[in-house]
Amino acid sequence: VGLLAREIEACGVTTIALALVRELAIAVKAPRMLFLHWPFGHALGEPGNRLQQLTVLHDAFSMAQAAPRPGLVVDLPYQWRRHQYMPIDDWQVLSSAFAEAQARKE
Amino acid sequence: MNKEKDSRVTSSNPFREWALRTSNDKAWGERLARWMGKVGGALQLRWKVGVPKEIPWAPLQQPLAKATVALVTTGGLHCCSDQPFVLKSDASFRAIPRTATAASLCITHEHYDRRDAARDLNLIFPLPRLLELEAEGIVGHVAETHYSFGFTDNPHDLLSPAHEIGILLAQANVDLVLLVPA
Repeated sequence: VGLLAREIEACGVTTIALALVRELAIAVKAPRMLFLHWPFGHALGEPGNRLQQLTVLHDAFSMAQAAPRPGLVVDLPYQWRRHQYMPIDDWQVLSSAFAEAQARKE
Repeated sequence: MNKEKDSRVTSSNPFREWALRTSNDKAWGERLARWMGKVGGALQLRWKVGVPKEIPWAPLQQPLAKATVALVTTGGLHCCSDQPFVLKSDASFRAIPRTATAASLCITHEHYDRRDAARDLNLIFPLPRLLELEAEGIVGHVAETHYSFGFTDNPHDLLSPAHEIGILLAQANVDLVLLVPA
């Protein structure tokens, strides 16, 4: 999806791409990428886990709004099937997972 | 459970199906699939596309609550009434309207275990979740049209169709695209 993101962003549309292979996410140099160490076919998580899916969307929207520079690949900390997801109180506030992961990068 | 058949998933040959399920159900299978994805993908990227120099950059122009959001997936999703993707390799795309229901969408892709995605579309195409967020006013608008790709063994072939949907999305005044891999 990184290549697709590059082409779409070149047309003037903001992109945020999820990634399941970290090495590819880095190599492809897409504008904004969020890496999840989860199995293929599960970028939004486990079937039926609504809170998990909303958490990924919140992280993605946070990065779309706040990524400071092109080419950032942010690692999300969630362990597959071992993380307890909480409801998102305020979507206006950037996700703490994104903010912390980004702070580690900078 | 393993024998379950879903008419909305284009079936692959039995050996591949076993391999895909192993890549999902077993830890060693997942590690092997990840390694193959990493090495194969990196080689193809380098050989067929090259190392890009500049990264395009178009910051979000709207707050999320006013933005129009679209989805692009590479999960092989398409309207069941549309032409399915060619399983071996296919760089074409399919449009999916925002009115599409899970029951009207099929998956044609043989490089990941599709059972969970067939059970919950959100895993590869979170349109139902986005529509909820739109109803709650968290996202401004969910775009009228979204796009899906299948599997392609030559990433270079994706550049032209990707540019094409980039233009379509820009013309539809989409502010933000979320891309979801298989």
